[in-house]
Amino acid sequence: MSAIPADPPHATKAHADAAPTLGQRLRRITRSYLFRVLLSGLITIWAVTTFTFVLIRQMPGNPVDIKIDQMMQTQNLTYEEALRAAATLFNFDPDRPILLQYTDFWSDLLRGDLGASITRTGVSVSSIILRYLPWTLFCVGLSLLVSFSLGILIGLAMGYWRGSWFDNLMTTIASILSGLPDYIIGLLIIVIFGVQLRWFDIGSVRGGVDPTIEAGFTLEYIGSIISFATMPVLIYVLSTIGTWILSMKSSTLSTLGEDYIAVAKARGLSEQRILMGYIGRNAMLPLITRLAISVGLVVSGTVIIEEMFQYPGLGRNLFIAIAGRDYTTMQGIFLVITIAVVFSNIFADFVIGWLDPRVRVADGETAQ
Amino acid sequence: MTYDRNHVVLSVRDLSVTYQAERGRVRAASHVSFDLHAGETLALIGESGCGKTTLNLALIRQLPKTARTSGDGVIYTYRDGRQADILKFSDREMRRYLWSECSMVFQGALNSLNPIIRVSDMVYDTAKAHGIGRDEAHKRALRLLEQVRLDPARVMRSYPHELSGGMRQRVLLAVSLLLRPQIVIMDEPTTAVDILTQRSILDVLKQLREELNFSVIFISHDLAVAAEIADTVATMYAGEIVEIGPVNEVFYRSRHAYTLSLLNAAPRLSAGAETLESIPGKPPDLIDPPSGCKFHERCAFAREVCSQTPPPLITYDDEHQASCYETERVLAQSEVTRKVAAP
Ligand SMILES: Nc1ncnc2c1ncn2[C@@H]1O[C@H](COP(=O)(O)OP(=O)(O)O)[C@@H](O)[C@H]1O
Ligand code: SF4
Ligand SMILES: [Mg+2]
Repeated sequence: MSAIPADPPHATKAHADAAPTLGQRLRRITRSYLFRVLLSGLITIWAVTTFTFVLIRQMPGNPVDIKIDQMMQTQNLTYEEALRAAATLFNFDPDRPILLQYTDFWSDLLRGDLGASITRTGVSVSSIILRYLPWTLFCVGLSLLVSFSLGILIGLAMGYWRGSWFDNLMTTIASILSGLPDYIIGLLIIVIFGVQLRWFDIGSVRGGVDPTIEAGFTLEYIGSIISFATMPVLIYVLSTIGTWILSMKSSTLSTLGEDYIAVAKARGLSEQRILMGYIGRNAMLPLITRLAISVGLVVSGTVIIEEMFQYPGLGRNLFIAIAGRDYTTMQGIFLVITIAVVFSNIFADFVIGWLDPRVRVADGETAQ
Repeated sequence: MTYDRNHVVLSVRDLSVTYQAERGRVRAASHVSFDLHAGETLALIGESGCGKTTLNLALIRQLPKTARTSGDGVIYTYRDGRQADILKFSDREMRRYLWSECSMVFQGALNSLNPIIRVSDMVYDTAKAHGIGRDEAHKRALRLLEQVRLDPARVMRSYPHELSGGMRQRVLLAVSLLLRPQIVIMDEPTTAVDILTQRSILDVLKQLREELNFSVIFISHDLAVAAEIADTVATMYAGEIVEIGPVNEVFYRSRHAYTLSLLNAAPRLSAGAETLESIPGKPPDLIDPPSGCKFHERCAFAREVCSQTPPPLITYDDEHQASCYETERVLAQSEVTRKVAAP
């Protein structure tokens, strides 16, 4: 059973050999799980990037056209005047062949350069990303953390005490919440609590932080960041928690029917141990993949909520970039989103393997 | 096996269980009474759907919420002679009783192990719930795993999916004895495994029984297995114990027509009989069971009274009990058939 079979003589010799040759080493690397996963991740990133590169250029209008339209409307210019003004504003040539644009993009990217924004003259795409990404990471990351952990706990309790008043009440609430899109929830909150009940001042919750407070690691500044994030976080949580609750409940219900739960009860285990170690952990497994996608999408922010509260996140910048057909900025943000999604999925595989020994992946050599 | 006939560990008195189902009340167990003695192995036989699992889940109060249990009591005698009625236990008392006094190896053992924890953690969890330390639990588990003929160190480290069906079954058997209970209930432990595994489980069980001297309630619809392992056999039909007695009495001098039919339908036991006769029809619907003797619709011996009045349970020699109006004719035929079959 556990006895290690005696190595045949030649195998022993191979083991005893000195350092493996370069060829052997390479083969070991290419066969390893991590290598294969990383390779397929890189291919995915390349494919998605290329696809979005082409796709965003198929949208009607280009940055110059859009700017010309805007100038003609807002500044009462003639088409010629606007065209001249726009051409000097942007360093972008709409007539350059797409294939050359594509090679430009990659040669810049391989040097680590995401290029300059087309519509915001003199601003590099990477500086936009670096400036706004932290806000999004904080706001949406916190929201996801709250939404997922709360949703899991509520769903678990509902499944465990199925048919109780708590279960019935929460099923109704969760079903309604999961059916409402985020902008409706946002509008409802603003109208009901901001306008009708005046629990908060609508004007004072726009932005990411009170601009009159000096930036720094002060209690006041951090407090202001948190207070400005409250509304976006609340709306994000409300708009996503329903789905977590309902999936965790149904997963809990199917786990409850498993034989090993009945056996655990018969062994006299405490309710708490059964609930957490036996039901909770098993019921959570099917949700991890979906969590990974949500984690990856954290960087894309929440376009509508950020726009609604003028929150200085990446989502709002993506929105602005799309509206102005700022190709380079869009490319940069999409690239960051793609990388995040791909890597959080790879990470999720390891988390699932850690939580569920049945799918545990063996790094390096094939599993026995 | 011999056991102490003066020392009753579990006395079941007039126990009934009903399930509240959508179609109505299912009378899954009716007026069941029996005594289980120290060191005794009681085999429960009967077709699927006769209430064997229900009865045993009632004994450890692990029935689903839709079930209602009633009766005069399930009296358990502790090692120190103290007695208690399990039906009157609080939840806490019940949790303490479970596994340390009475454990169960469930039907369908393949899914009885939590897939995401190691066997060792299952052992520690069980021990911890009953106030036994990790080291002590570890020591006991190693010893028991060895007794069920597994490689203790390796199995302790394993996750369930790394073990074969037979190995898992033996792990469960070992874990069922971890807290040294007086009673182990085993629900069809040999049904889902191949014949070799079945053999080894029976051998292991017999040996453990010798060494640790616990009582067993053994559910099986494999009569050959029951014949091999049991001291006492009880036949269940439609939620009732219709015949109970020492194994040789019940198998060679059957007094209930249903037991006789079961034996005639069992390939390995009816060898020598002219034909293998399967029982016509299937066990009745327990929402609306037949009147009189519940077996009368399928019984070759049935006469008029059978469909009108339920036959009383009568005690014959050697504590052999049966509830059948035609017990003498059944007995006569049983003796003829078995004489041919017996070596
Ligand atoms: N949870 C339940 N709800 C309703 N009826 C049930 C339930 N479990 C079992 N039964 C019914 O009770 C009867 C006895 O079942 P069971 O105890 O499983 O028999 P056995 O173990 O002898 O096969 C069957 O008629 C079965 O359909
Ligand atoms: S009582 Fe009648 S119907 Fe029932 S088993 Fe005996 S002979 Fe058959
Ligand atoms: Mg059963």
